[in-house]
Amino acid sequence: MTRKIRAAAAIALIGVTTLVAAGCSAGSDAAGGDGGKVSMTFWHNSTTGPGKAFWAKTVKDFEAKNPNVTIKIQAIQNEDLDGKLQTALNSGSAPDVFLQRGGGKMAAMVNAGQLMDISGSIGKTAKSEISDAAFGGYEQDGKTWAMPVDVNPEGIWYSQDLFEQAGIEGTPTTMDELNADIQKLKDAGIQPVAVGAKDAWPAAHWYYNFALRACSESTLTKTAKDLKFTNSCWTQAGKDTKAFFDTKPFNDGYLTTASQQGAGSSAGLVANHKAAMELMGAWDPGVISSLTPDGKPLADLGFFPFPEVSGGKGAPGSMMGAVDGFSCSAKAPKQACTDFLNYMTEKPVQEAYYKAFNAIPANQSAQSVVTEPYLKTVLEAYNKAPFVSNYLDTVYGQNVGNALNTSVVNLLAGKGSVDDIVKTINQAAAKG
Amino acid sequence: MTTSVAPRSEARSGTGRNQGGADGSPSAPARRARKGTDVRTRVEIAVLAGPATIMFVGFVILPVALAAYYGFYKWQGYGTPTDFVGLQNYAIIFTDPDFRGVLLHNAFIVIGSLLVQGPIAIVLALLLNQRIRGRGLIRVLIFLPYVISEVIVGTGWSLMLQSSGAVNDLLQAVGLGALRADWLSNPDIAIWTLLAIISWKYIGFAVILFLAGLQSIPEELFEAAQLDGASYWQIQRRITLPLLGPTVRIWAFLSIIGSLQLFDLVYIIWGQYIAATAGTSTMATYMVANGRMSGNYGYGNAVAVVIFLISLAVALVYQRFVLRRDTAGALTDKADR
Repeated sequence: MTRKIRAAAAIALIGVTTLVAAGCSAGSDAAGGDGGKVSMTFWHNSTTGPGKAFWAKTVKDFEAKNPNVTIKIQAIQNEDLDGKLQTALNSGSAPDVFLQRGGGKMAAMVNAGQLMDISGSIGKTAKSEISDAAFGGYEQDGKTWAMPVDVNPEGIWYSQDLFEQAGIEGTPTTMDELNADIQKLKDAGIQPVAVGAKDAWPAAHWYYNFALRACSESTLTKTAKDLKFTNSCWTQAGKDTKAFFDTKPFNDGYLTTASQQGAGSSAGLVANHKAAMELMGAWDPGVISSLTPDGKPLADLGFFPFPEVSGGKGAPGSMMGAVDGFSCSAKAPKQACTDFLNYMTEKPVQEAYYKAFNAIPANQSAQSVVTEPYLKTVLEAYNKAPFVSNYLDTVYGQNVGNALNTSVVNLLAGKGSVDDIVKTINQAAAKG
Repeated sequence: MTTSVAPRSEARSGTGRNQGGADGSPSAPARRARKGTDVRTRVEIAVLAGPATIMFVGFVILPVALAAYYGFYKWQGYGTPTDFVGLQNYAIIFTDPDFRGVLLHNAFIVIGSLLVQGPIAIVLALLLNQRIRGRGLIRVLIFLPYVISEVIVGTGWSLMLQSSGAVNDLLQAVGLGALRADWLSNPDIAIWTLLAIISWKYIGFAVILFLAGLQSIPEELFEAAQLDGASYWQIQRRITLPLLGPTVRIWAFLSIIGSLQLFDLVYIIWGQYIAATAGTSTMATYMVANGRMSGNYGYGNAVAVVIFLISLAVALVYQRFVLRRDTAGALTDKADR
């Protein structure tokens, strides 16, 4: 009797647990049918202001042109997006269209069969007016998995007023000139460089750029495949980074400085004239303008590309830079979804995108509407760049990327050596 | 009664024949009645304990089992894990210098919390047990930090302890500029800063516990000691502290467990990435950094299992060797000794 009841209780328990589990996974299945009405879900990360309004209008316009398609927008806070997306992909209730960050994260999705191959569906406009470099970030196994909508090349953002105050003329083009300018700023009592090392990646970007100067394009791409950091250029980049860190160019308390939140962040320091410059991607003007005392763009903001380093194997003028874009999930209705991706790249939409985000649109014909002098400088350098590499933490995947970032921060804090960078990376590769 | 008999016979009909013979015996009605209440008791227990059991199994046992399962795989979090690696994740954990680092940090916090908070809290509790003016206010002030959420404490202290923050400005203003430091950024200082914040936050909890323990010591003992001519300090040393023992041991247990689990303060103050650099990483922040932030969910689960086992081992050892003597009734045991 006892055993019987126990068994019954166990069965009941399992039953209920299964029910609970099933209840969790039974999400809404959004994909519509092939013919007739199609409905899709769309996840992006612009939860406020003009960005949110831009996507609302873009979807509305697209629906007007394609009456059989309805798109349900869900704007998700940027920091929450990746976690939610992963859960949705895992449980089979993925959104049809969603923000794609590329790199190792995209590779994981591709390997799990979660993304739609859009190689054959890229429209004429997108093909002819978006550069191969921009598409390059979204290619894997010879196929394209996402549509780029903007480009974010990296360089140094600086305050023209503070440079002038320190008696600096022009902008530095070599490391020697940059170091001299940093000394001048110090002499004038100005914190030369802001860095948000609390987030690790902003400090690591200095290493990325030194690696871009020291390593050839083929080394960088080869390393992305085998994740073996054996080439001597990686050590050289570490030495260059250490030499630069040793000049103590950064703001006080950089290790616990965030990059984007509040006036005490690195962007906030630049926005409030507390530091003269910072190394950052082309999203920085938007971030800085939200942190100025009056919330308006910083009037004296300027830009110069990362200085050249003599003796490196990297082609002079090469840049670091990311691409933002969108993917279709493997289960999305193909025609409607790729139509929507193509629509995002059309010139008027791209121009509106630039206005909403103050970012450089991926469509080159839409780039002519860019008016800010600093963005023009960025564009000029970007279009001349012989090679644009995505950020190394993205290229080498979340796992190795994370380890790379923290090991650079260790170097910065005086806790590790140049050799430790490569050592840490190899340790991380074992965990993944 | 009839209602309870009907389902029972129904249940029996489905279970086979071998019980049928036994039911035919003369004492069947009596047994039937007892079995009836038996079943009802069992149903009652199942109904009452069921929800709690389901919650416990579903949200405690099952996740632990799942973590153990995922810990045997290399898994990026997409789809079902397929890349079985056996104990490799565990081998990496125990050879990772970073993990050894977090064990040291956790051990430092466990011991530091006990050594710093314990004596101070006992002294404060003894003081606050006296009839002094403003006792209620002081008690509230000491207990206040414990009530504030970790996020607020972390954010507040991290702003005040910035290199250009309030603490350094204050030191400068009172002429102690030489003591200015990078409280959070300097790897040599950071863990001491963390210990100070933890002590500030949790000492109120210890004081309240000790005060409660002091209240439970019978007044007669003090009176008898006083009549025998014992001094104030003799009374505290010979009577109060020994009788406070059980409370201190329970507090120490809670403090150790809390120190092993420490996560939120570190995560708020040092963020997602640099705790290891600043020398304040704990087992929990290591798990998040190397599991979730790195997208190595298999590895992260293995770390979770290791943390679980370490905490379990510490808890069991402590229960077995330290807390056991309290179960027999500390007061009588001690009085006999």
